[in-house]
Amino acid sequence: MSNIEPFLPRGMLHEGWSSEVDDYAIVCGWAMRGKIFVVGDAAGGLYAFDSLKGNTIWKNDNVHKGGLLSISINLDGDIISTGGQDGCVRFWGSEDGKEIKKIEIGKGWVEHLKHSPDGNYLSVALSKNAYVLNSEGQEIWRSENHPSTISAIAWATNNELATACYGQVAFYQINKNKINQKLEWQGSLISMVISPNGDIVACGSQDNSVHFWRRSTGHDAEMTGYPCKPSNISFDHTGTLLATGGSERVTVWSFEGNGPEGTIPGELGHHTQPVTSLSFSNKGMLVASGSRDGSVVVSFLEKNGNGNPVGAAFSGNSVSAIAWRPDDCAIAAVNSEGGINLWNFKVRTEL
Amino acid sequence: MNPENKVPVTILTGFLGSGKTTLLNRILGEEHGKRIAVIENEYGEVGIDQGLVIDADEEVFEMSNGCICCTVRGDLIRVLGNLMKRRDKFDYVLVETTGLADPGPVAQTFFMDEEISSEFTLDGIVTLVDAAHIDQQLGRSNESSEQVAFADVIVLNKTDLVSDKALTNIESRLKDMNRMTRIIRAKQADVPIETVLNLSAFDLDEVLKRRPSFLEPEYPFEWSGVFPLDEGKYELILEEGPDPEMSLVAILDQGCTEDELKEGAESCVRYYAEAPEELTPNNIIPYEKHVNLNLQSQGSKRFILDQKKFSKVGLFTQHTAEEFEIKLKSLNEPNSGNIILPESERIWVAEHEHDDEVGSIAIERDGDVDPEKLNTWMGKLLAEKGVDIFRTKGFISYAGNPKRIVFQGVHMLFTAQPDKEWGDEPRKNQLVFIGRNLDEEQMQKDFDKCLI
Repeated sequence: MSNIEPFLPRGMLHEGWSSEVDDYAIVCGWAMRGKIFVVGDAAGGLYAFDSLKGNTIWKNDNVHKGGLLSISINLDGDIISTGGQDGCVRFWGSEDGKEIKKIEIGKGWVEHLKHSPDGNYLSVALSKNAYVLNSEGQEIWRSENHPSTISAIAWATNNELATACYGQVAFYQINKNKINQKLEWQGSLISMVISPNGDIVACGSQDNSVHFWRRSTGHDAEMTGYPCKPSNISFDHTGTLLATGGSERVTVWSFEGNGPEGTIPGELGHHTQPVTSLSFSNKGMLVASGSRDGSVVVSFLEKNGNGNPVGAAFSGNSVSAIAWRPDDCAIAAVNSEGGINLWNFKVRTEL
Repeated sequence: MNPENKVPVTILTGFLGSGKTTLLNRILGEEHGKRIAVIENEYGEVGIDQGLVIDADEEVFEMSNGCICCTVRGDLIRVLGNLMKRRDKFDYVLVETTGLADPGPVAQTFFMDEEISSEFTLDGIVTLVDAAHIDQQLGRSNESSEQVAFADVIVLNKTDLVSDKALTNIESRLKDMNRMTRIIRAKQADVPIETVLNLSAFDLDEVLKRRPSFLEPEYPFEWSGVFPLDEGKYELILEEGPDPEMSLVAILDQGCTEDELKEGAESCVRYYAEAPEELTPNNIIPYEKHVNLNLQSQGSKRFILDQKKFSKVGLFTQHTAEEFEIKLKSLNEPNSGNIILPESERIWVAEHEHDDEVGSIAIERDGDVDPEKLNTWMGKLLAEKGVDIFRTKGFISYAGNPKRIVFQGVHMLFTAQPDKEWGDEPRKNQLVFIGRNLDEEQMQKDFDKCLI
């Protein structure tokens, strides 16, 4: 009986609903603990869709002059923050779309916004500075001038913020206003994720590589050989697997054991064009990938990084963002033509 | 990807004060039907009137691998990456660089970044040059000569502030540095828009269709004048000039249109190729012969033109008429002593000594090359000298390949692709390298070894 293998989970994407927004949909997220799906388009439209039926609950036009660039939703899901080309951050109530606050940060683009894990703070990146606002929208901290425009921000803990730019990743202790660590490397870092335990910081780089550091030891490594730049990277909730884009395949590095140094990554080759978005499920080893070819694939991964597809769907146009609903029972994708799709995701585990 | 769907991008370079903003405003004013986005790195002396203007800090990103062809402009990647996400897409993008910018990373951004190159196509590099200041700037800064070296088009601006003679010298100096470029004179950046936009300068098939050679011809003479002369005798008077002698070719039946002048110039190039006949003053100038006027004696020197019947006489001189105050006078009654003005005058770009660090090297050879040998040589050349080679363009005849191979490069980035069939055309090769401190003789020797 030893040759009988256990069943992998079988999952499927069941068509839920579809809708559309007026311009290129660039950002999305879940609010109200999964009751509302929020989408921002390039022209500055902000939309809230009902999670179950897909009808538009509210819509705000032109929320940022010149265009909307970034969105973040707090832990409770009752406040949506947006940033745009007008140099402003705006807070919106999730339930009714009413503006709570508008904060002028400065001249330039607000390209990145991230709520702290506990939802108390909002970090903002505008040009060469990072800012931290409290829930009232008051600035409680501001970084020094970075050597170049900040290209990514991430929270390591509720009080420690990381920024990435050309040449460095820096960690700031917000409540003590000091720099905890600076990791330098000559390269243009374009994306960043931090493992859930806070030890590993991984960055996609303009020169078609992924660079990562282990903060506890200062040890760093570089994964090269990507055909395109890995703009999309994602850790699973245990911090074992790092999924990376940078080609039409999803390359998955496993941090199990002594890896990923010296190991061969898992590769998921289900798209025909470069990967444009990646997202691990909130729990479990499921990674969703979207591509320029319009396909969305959910793969179930093993701890070594290899995996199999468990569901696939077509969104019609280049996928710009995907987001798992907090309960992982649905996944939504937005695309370059303003198309919005929701699929219900069902898993059947047999062992 | 269909290149037609890509948004063309023109890079505008030039020193502060050379007139970039004036040119930008002219383009925006004349092309008002189009949606043009301007990415500006420098607050100019004049504001930009209309269109979408995005200010971006110039961020040059070098990579850890040390490869200069990987050096790109991060600000452009961010801004263009966002621009392409709008449904109301732009028809055209203009990137204005700061006066001190190296155009290399800007150009490389459009080849190195896959996301950018899938949506945008680099149309051309336009460099503005302030005619009154360029001489000093070229001596002082590397950036300034790099901007000249990279240019597909040089707008020689503020020409009203310098003499014709000085302009001719500047033009010839710029041509020495960059033989592929087209130079357009302007007073207040008032150039026809079509000379700077939609050049498809990086689409070599297109470029070669419009202009079968990358090389603007150089001539062994600087000046020509066309004089309609009736039967009789005339004297050509030269005052003291910078040289004790000057070459000249006189030809009959010279027309005054641009085409006729070019045709005349081509035939004079052939006469110039022959050794000149020495001619002392007061002798008759023979037609269709290369003569060397001896001008050692003091004061005015006279040479005679003897017309048997009416003809338009073309004089092609080694130096400009201005330098020797050349005059043509009639010796025939009743008009004896009258000065005859030329019906047309023209300045030609002359061959010059290369005295700038930055220069162009052209290799032109008939016949076929061995693809393998050529690849080996080019690979080695770009690996060793890629930092100093700014741009490369050329076409090659591979032995056994029915199609012409066209190629181009920016630093070490290099593409080669088959173009049209040779057909009955004689097989030949043309390579142009623009770079710093290149060894022309060695490169020609190395290329010759690749010939079959």
